[in-house]
Amino acid sequence: MNHKSDHEKEVEGIDRILASEEELVPSHGFLAAAMERVREEAATPPPIPFPWKRALPGMLPLVGAIGWAIYEAIASVPSQAGDFVLRLPSFSAAQMRSLEDAGWVAIALTASFCSWLVSRQLAGRSGLL
Amino acid sequence: MHSTTSAEEDLADVERVLAGDSEAFAGIVRRWQGPLVNMAWRYCRDRQRAEDLAQEAFLRAWRGLAGWRRESSFSTWLFALAANVYRSELKRFPAVNVPFEEIHEPAMPATQYTATAEQRQQEALRRAVLALPIRYREPVVLYYFHEMDVAAAARTMGLPEGTMKARLAGGREMLRRRFPQLRDESGTATASTFKTGKEALR
Repeated sequence: MNHKSDHEKEVEGIDRILASEEELVPSHGFLAAAMERVREEAATPPPIPFPWKRALPGMLPLVGAIGWAIYEAIASVPSQAGDFVLRLPSFSAAQMRSLEDAGWVAIALTASFCSWLVSRQLAGRSGLL
Repeated sequence: MHSTTSAEEDLADVERVLAGDSEAFAGIVRRWQGPLVNMAWRYCRDRQRAEDLAQEAFLRAWRGLAGWRRESSFSTWLFALAANVYRSELKRFPAVNVPFEEIHEPAMPATQYTATAEQRQQEALRRAVLALPIRYREPVVLYYFHEMDVAAAARTMGLPEGTMKARLAGGREMLRRRFPQLRDESGTATASTFKTGKEALR
């Protein structure tokens, strides 16, 4: 005796309908259209890779400056922030001053480098370079 | 579904494309256009959009051909790639905007089964699949596309089989609750006119 529950019969009904989908035949132009897109893609020159070698000398001082700014921000937070104490490396006042100066120099250098890059790019676009 | 000859042809065409002969890709498109268009059709139920989606999938396959590591068959890689394309494209522009709760089984007299009413009911069920929550929709779509093969559907989605089974059960249960009249009594009109998935896709 094979008595299926209503639940099983309902699921089987769903299976029969969803599995019996008629097969769609792609239109005649499908292959040609797909290959046309492939040919267009093949004819497009590959994207210009990011110039890491040129960008790195500019990025390193920038990263350094950002790091320094974060350090400064953390160091300037008042110590009322509960019991949590952030242990920062201790420097003497003279060392701190020279480090601060170094930070400002790094920021100034980075800003100059960026402005040089931008002006170079603008000059390049206008055909001057 | 696909023979070893096809697998060898796929491999040969891939080698040629990677060697710089982009025209060899036509062989791959020719062999796989049917499955990819049909798969896309099940995702959106819009013929024109299905072809557009399948074309996009072929283009992505062409771009990423070097990324096929040959650990899995070409078809597994291609179906997984196509599923990703369809999923992301349909996320941007959904195929159905009707919430699942608002889809109802078409009313029809319990004793009178006409071909039209039956077709309407089938179509309503197929559209209801697209209104399932996303978690269940794709497992249901891929399970029936792969001729009710859980392992193949799981490979296409990149999910463990257990997860696929659980999601599939959830999706089918939601459909069953929404379409209680689809009981498959042998001999009734509901069951009589349907072929099994394998027969239909052969």
